[in-house]
Amino acid sequence: MKKIDKKVADRYFREKTRNMIIYFAVGFLASFGVVLFAEPLSGITINGFPFHYFMGAQGAVLTFIILLFVNAKLGDAIDRKYGIDEEKNKQISSGKVLDH
Amino acid sequence: MDTQFLVSLSIILATFALYIGIAIYNKAKATSDFYVAGRGIPPIFNGMAIGADWMSAASFIGMAGTIMLLGYDGLAYIMGWTGGYLLLTFLLAPQLRKYGRYTVPEFIGDRYNSHTARVIAAICTIIISFTYSIGQLSGSGVVIGRLFEIDAKLGTMIGVVLIAFYAAFGGMKGITWTQVAQYVILIIAYIVPVIFMSLQITGNPAPWLSYGEIVGKMGELDRELGISEYFAPFTNGTKWQFIALMFTLMAGTAGLPHVIVRFYTVSTMKAARWSGAWALLFIGLLYLSAPAYAAFSRFILMTKVAGSKITELPGWTKSWVDTGKLQVADSNGDGILQWSELIISNDIVVMATPEIANLGLFVIGLVAAGAMAAALSTAGGLMIAISSAFAHDIFYRVLKPNSTEKTRLSVARWSIVTATLLAGLIALNPPGAITQIVAWAFALATGTFFPALVLGVWWRRSNSQGVIAGLLVGLGVTLAYIFAAKYGGFTILGIIDTGAGVFGAVAAFAANIIVSLMTAAPSQKIQDEVMDLRYPEQMTYKNGEVWINDDGSKSV
Repeated sequence: MKKIDKKVADRYFREKTRNMIIYFAVGFLASFGVVLFAEPLSGITINGFPFHYFMGAQGAVLTFIILLFVNAKLGDAIDRKYGIDEEKNKQISSGKVLDH
Repeated sequence: MDTQFLVSLSIILATFALYIGIAIYNKAKATSDFYVAGRGIPPIFNGMAIGADWMSAASFIGMAGTIMLLGYDGLAYIMGWTGGYLLLTFLLAPQLRKYGRYTVPEFIGDRYNSHTARVIAAICTIIISFTYSIGQLSGSGVVIGRLFEIDAKLGTMIGVVLIAFYAAFGGMKGITWTQVAQYVILIIAYIVPVIFMSLQITGNPAPWLSYGEIVGKMGELDRELGISEYFAPFTNGTKWQFIALMFTLMAGTAGLPHVIVRFYTVSTMKAARWSGAWALLFIGLLYLSAPAYAAFSRFILMTKVAGSKITELPGWTKSWVDTGKLQVADSNGDGILQWSELIISNDIVVMATPEIANLGLFVIGLVAAGAMAAALSTAGGLMIAISSAFAHDIFYRVLKPNSTEKTRLSVARWSIVTATLLAGLIALNPPGAITQIVAWAFALATGTFFPALVLGVWWRRSNSQGVIAGLLVGLGVTLAYIFAAKYGGFTILGIIDTGAGVFGAVAAFAANIIVSLMTAAPSQKIQDEVMDLRYPEQMTYKNGEVWINDDGSKSV
């Protein structure tokens, strides 16, 4: 156990939170954003679909899947940057489970 | 007893034998290191298991039919049920994993250090899972009803017996590999008929690319018939209803007790992140196919069934009319079945389409087996959530802390049987379509657990009085809105019962925050524990300082 600079720890949290806010903003635009402007967007056609229908049936879901994989990958990169070792995480967390 | 019955029944029985076989094989192999083995499952397979647990009769049987009947407005279910995984994976799953408590009442009871909150959370778990299981039972009723060509009510009763056995003899649930198999069966059963229909109608084997054209064509057919176009937005409700429903389904996904429990089998926060991503990929396969299923079904019904002579309807109509879920009546007496004279229930579209499109005995049987896998795997998970909330959180932690393991197990079994029977009774006369019943469960989760969990993880100042007020107000507002909208015709901005969660959530957040601020802050220890959730396992927050554990020792 050693103490780390609180500023470093705060930076870790800020980076992750900033990314999360970006993901939420993108996800929100792809779903709620398109619904709010469904009527004007329906004039555009993609692959036979009116745009609002395409986003509801496929576009939003694909966006969500991509965001989750980007989050997993970038989350790993941030962990590495701050010297977090997944093997040690496993050891620590396997001892922290409340068994009953 | 025709050939179809025999083929469907054999496929269902063969898949059941597969699940039981895997369960027995794994149990024999890994009793000693059950927990280690469970946590060693790679995120990709854990993602499939989450998928099987998650995709219920509502997704498998109900959703495509709902989209077919509602058109664009049904897509709120697609975006809501997938978008929820963003909330779950970003805001809750890794943090709850680090906290180390996995049932929702347990997290709420310990985080807020309050038995009252624990009991309220347990009661909310029971209400939510119970509502959800009504949808599953009525789904299994549709499948069994069609199989034996009996009324869906009788089918529901058979389903009740099956599910009570399945869940009470448990063991199935804990074994992730069984669920991986259920996922594989379920997704094949869903996608095969869509691909066949796509080949039949467009000649293209990729339904996801080919159905756009069909959606466009149906718009033309609708204009000819003088009804609103299939893809026209907000024809079955206001834009606000769409948004409220979508929000309710998203936040409810993040607050559903039996889904959060799934993150029990992951090893770390990192694994929680990856499991969430893989889960949505596997779930997405079905959700991307459902609108295609809906479009092809509607196209076939409009072009091949509507317009045919009432006396020359194909054989499938009779067996579905027998279940009470399909009506064909030549109301204008011209001897021809018009599109408007065909009344089809949301809940049979997925089951009936393979027959309508004449896809052959095997595909029809496969779809029945997939639907049973979806209903059983989710119902099993729900019943276990109910029994653990009652037997563990209420009976053991609060009422009788000295009770023996054996007593607790029998309490758990009896609570499963009671809950299944009660849910079955209500499912005999389902108060709505499957997707609608399930949407109420999501509304309740949105109004109760979503605010309690988000504030519990992200706001250290939230305290026991705040969460108690939040849970009670959220539950009250959501229930009141569902009943007022469904039976009293009361709506705000055209938001109906299924969108009730949005009001529950706003009220619960407000109650939690206001009451927390008016009462004393939680202890320093609890506040430190909440701050600690910001960092990965290796970092620990204590008294305003952050420590890194670089030798991997367990004691902190």
